[in-house]
Amino acid sequence: MSNKSKPNTGPPIIGVSKDMQRVRELIEHVADTGLNIVVFGESGVGKEVVAQNLYQQSPRSGKPFIKINCAALPEGLLESELFGYERGAFTGAEQKKKGKFQLAHSGVLLLDEIGDMSLPLQAKLLHVLQSGGEFSPLGSEKEVKSDTWVIAATNHDLKKDIDEGKFREDLYYRLNIIKIHVSPLRGRPEDIPPLIDFYIKEYTAMLQNRHIEKPSVKVIDQLCAYSWPGNVRELQNILKRILVLGDSSEVMNELFESERGTSNNKVTASIQGHHASLDGLLDLDGKNSPDNESFSLKNAKQEAVEMVEREIISHVLAKTDWNRSKASKILKISYKTLLYKISDLKIVPPQK
Amino acid sequence: MKKPFKLLIIDDAEEILIALENFFKNLNYEVTAASTGLDGLKQIEDESACFDLIITDLVLPNISGVAIISIAKQKFPDTPVIAITGWGEHPESLAKEAKADFVLEKPFKLPELEQLVENLLNK
Repeated sequence: MSNKSKPNTGPPIIGVSKDMQRVRELIEHVADTGLNIVVFGESGVGKEVVAQNLYQQSPRSGKPFIKINCAALPEGLLESELFGYERGAFTGAEQKKKGKFQLAHSGVLLLDEIGDMSLPLQAKLLHVLQSGGEFSPLGSEKEVKSDTWVIAATNHDLKKDIDEGKFREDLYYRLNIIKIHVSPLRGRPEDIPPLIDFYIKEYTAMLQNRHIEKPSVKVIDQLCAYSWPGNVRELQNILKRILVLGDSSEVMNELFESERGTSNNKVTASIQGHHASLDGLLDLDGKNSPDNESFSLKNAKQEAVEMVEREIISHVLAKTDWNRSKASKILKISYKTLLYKISDLKIVPPQK
Repeated sequence: MKKPFKLLIIDDAEEILIALENFFKNLNYEVTAASTGLDGLKQIEDESACFDLIITDLVLPNISGVAIISIAKQKFPDTPVIAITGWGEHPESLAKEAKADFVLEKPFKLPELEQLVENLLNK
């Protein structure tokens, strides 16, 4: 959840694409400003690596680098993690505890998944940023002041979250003094070979006692052609597997099978079905032409909603082994509603 | 003849940037135009530039106008900065916090901006 990293230990930003060059250039120019920064990008693109590079190139390098994931903790816990508490602030608070803001004093606080922070906490965070780092730990009367450089990261489109009332506009502007966008790997395939080189060197060093065969040119070409929905993190995992197994064919087959959606896996199959019907819905020159008798925005909307619901409910059911009580809790709908939806959306259990 | 004043103008809207550039050039200012915050920042960091005044849009991709103002005021506290904005009050109040000398709301008239520039330069 949090880690103090030693200075100069974070990985460099790898890539030859225009986008990555621009990211490195931006970091170089803004690392010494101490201004609030938001790093945007899909899961696995390396937002934390960007934050670490900012930190390392800043005068704060060597001071604490503290990270907290705002999506991983319930609101109350996140609040006490961020701001700390006094002894006796609540039941179980037997000892005074410093919050991450204080721990990151003179260094960097990385607020990962900021888009998932609740609105009340967003208000508190805004207050801290407005006051130049002042806050009071839970159960404390005294204000504490910390000099903390706040870097936030998110895979959300915060502008959209603002429109939907999920993110405070004033907090957005205050955090977003500088914005660094890390683009998905599929949009910059030229970065894949240098990434492969870098990680193979790194993993080879880790697995020093074993004989390691580097992936062939053919395999590298295939890897460049893959869409990498999980971005660099997925590439790392695949490379590790190839190196450890010593045989790439199995891993590659699996990779492309999952992409094609030809696997027998229920979830993948249903995702495929969903794409097909969404395409059907949007086939406005053919199947779902506005000239059709049955066409209406209302009908299309209804169908789209059902598709998405069917998809999500099937996924959760598959994950919970069709434990409907568990599934309803995860979906945050009542047990009864879930049963009704299963029959209404014609979701069938997998055959054993 | 007096040396012309050096202006740095930053705006990501091309038509506005060109209009401002031409307007001030015709008034015998020496104008440097930048279409991104990073470009503008590089100009500010260039030691030889020494701008007499900076005009920046507030909402820019990557490096915002608020960042430009903060950085400019840190390096050159005496160089006046005018922020222009067509947006809500949030970046506007941030611009004031960052010590912008003036926040001008769009739409504005060019003579209005000229007057402002003159006043700030003659202080």
